[in-house]
Amino acid sequence: MIALEVKGLRKTFGGVVALDGIDLAVGLDDIVGIVGPNGSGKTTLFNVVTGALKPSAGSVRWLGEEIGGMAAYQIARKGLVRTFQQAMSFPALTVRENALIAHEHGARSGTRAVVPDALLRFVGLDGREDEIAGSMPFGNLRRLGLALALAARPRLLLLDEPAAGLNDSETEQLAGIIRRLPGLGVGVCLIDHDMNLMTSICQRLIVLDFGAKIAEGRPEDVLNDRKVMEVYLGAPT
Amino acid sequence: MDLAKTESLDLPQAEPAKGGSVGAPRLTWMERAIVPAGVFLLLIGLPWLHPGYRLLSLAVSTGVNTIALCGLAILFGQAGIMSVGHAALMGVGAYAGAILARDLDMSFWAALPCAALLAAAVAGLVGLPSLRVGGHHFVIITFALCGLFTIVLTNGGAFTGAATGLDIAPIGTVFGVNFSKLQNLYLLAAAFVLASIGLMRLVMTSSYGRTLRSIRENETLAAALGVNVGLHKIVAFMISGAFAGVAGLVQVYFLQHISPDLYGAFPSVYIALMVMLGGPRMLLGPLMGAFIVTFLPEVLNLDPIDARIAYGVGLILVILLLPGGVMAGLAHLYLSCRRCVVRS
Ligand SMILES: Nc1ncnc2c1ncn2[C@@H]1O[C@H](COP(=O)(O)OP(=O)(O)OP(=O)(O)O)[C@@H](O)[C@H]1O
Ligand SMILES: [Mg+2]
Repeated sequence: MIALEVKGLRKTFGGVVALDGIDLAVGLDDIVGIVGPNGSGKTTLFNVVTGALKPSAGSVRWLGEEIGGMAAYQIARKGLVRTFQQAMSFPALTVRENALIAHEHGARSGTRAVVPDALLRFVGLDGREDEIAGSMPFGNLRRLGLALALAARPRLLLLDEPAAGLNDSETEQLAGIIRRLPGLGVGVCLIDHDMNLMTSICQRLIVLDFGAKIAEGRPEDVLNDRKVMEVYLGAPT
Repeated sequence: MDLAKTESLDLPQAEPAKGGSVGAPRLTWMERAIVPAGVFLLLIGLPWLHPGYRLLSLAVSTGVNTIALCGLAILFGQAGIMSVGHAALMGVGAYAGAILARDLDMSFWAALPCAALLAAAVAGLVGLPSLRVGGHHFVIITFALCGLFTIVLTNGGAFTGAATGLDIAPIGTVFGVNFSKLQNLYLLAAAFVLASIGLMRLVMTSSYGRTLRSIRENETLAAALGVNVGLHKIVAFMISGAFAGVAGLVQVYFLQHISPDLYGAFPSVYIALMVMLGGPRMLLGPLMGAFIVTFLPEVLNLDPIDARIAYGVGLILVILLLPGGVMAGLAHLYLSCRRCVVRS
């Protein structure tokens, strides 16, 4: 079943066209990857879909309801939750307080409440509940960012470069966590530049370039697409 | 999602924290209780130490400011929003008290909820358009509120008493307690101070306080996790307005005469200064800030001009040396000493 349906989505910043008519459909048991060069509009797509930015044109439908232009907190409470490219936390608060904030707000309906402590265990932060978030090393901040998004009880999770800055073993752990999510009732849509990670966990890849979708399909097909190879390797002469 | 299945998930442990203690060191309940208990006893017991009239008056002034500062500490210390218009909100409470007593013969007690609600409503009206646009605009708009408020008061004719202001009779005798006596008025103010600190603690320790802190720490992330940032900013400002309104009401019954200059830009800046000086995130920060600013000129025998200079210099020093305010500085000092003692 299609849960998130984006049609003809445009976003312009003055003269800059960041999104140029994007079409996209994501189901609740999907793991969909979004790739593309720097500045191709990936983060902007998440920003517009989750209400951090207002769309310039086009529609965003979530579970059949038009949500384009709604406030970010309203969209999050409907179960569409995102993480940020820069690892974000509430730095002066403890890890547990961080998780409680997401837990106490977040989606209202649907799945049963998961105690934040179980979530912290799930992402591998158990035993660190009383640490000050801002004092943790980067890898743990990334885990926390994921735990916060999960504590908000998403039905679809939008992950913006969750593996950026992680070492190989941390990336492997992250892949393990992401793979489990559809089975737990959480669909995933993720952005990342790490092609090994993307091809290993995504069922479907979408390629953006200059704000437009240039390819979509199974990872192996997409990466062999001529247009995609041009974008990544430079135009063949 | 159902994490019951994941209980046995054997994920590798996160990398261990670098360095020694990361969180705040744990204090015993004795250590945590001793300062509040001492302050409580001093607050209640002060009249029995036979302070002079002057000292007791200063103590009431400190109390009045502390009530307002508790509200500002919730706004600034918890939600991270600074207002430099709090004297105007105190003025709303004070003028409401004086006008309700004059025109409707309302007592202090009947005017209490009115003053709180009215000041909260004014805060809501000011906050509604300005809090959405963000930090700097809000500071400027609250500052403008003071200017506007004094202009309205001075031009309000007989209704506001214009530049001369208004007079009000003392609270009088309630349940056999004569509040015209300064000692008893002091005890009333002390009770309001304790209630304000209690309410502040309630907010700080509740999940609502956590919501406000999430806004202080990272607005974008808070919104992305479902926090209604705009609403809670306005509610926090209204809560702080209610505290200011009550402070103003106690003040008008204490001074028995109010005029517009009490509620202009300068007093507002003082209030903002007091909260930063004392420590906006500390439970006893408001009391400390009000105490320092009220008593220091007296102790050092400063005239008003010198006092202003001293405040300015003091504020700069505190911001540079004690970013968390005097109370946070003292707490830090205590913890450092304790660590040395424990280690040796
Ligand atoms: N708030 C903004 N104001 C102005 N321009 C913006 C804004 N956000 C994004 N842009 C522009 O939109 C384009 C797309 O940026 P976006 O951040 O979406 O790229 P991206 O695909 O996420 O890149 P990266 O891989 O580097 O994260 C860029 O040209 C960027 O400069
Ligand atoms: Mg990006």
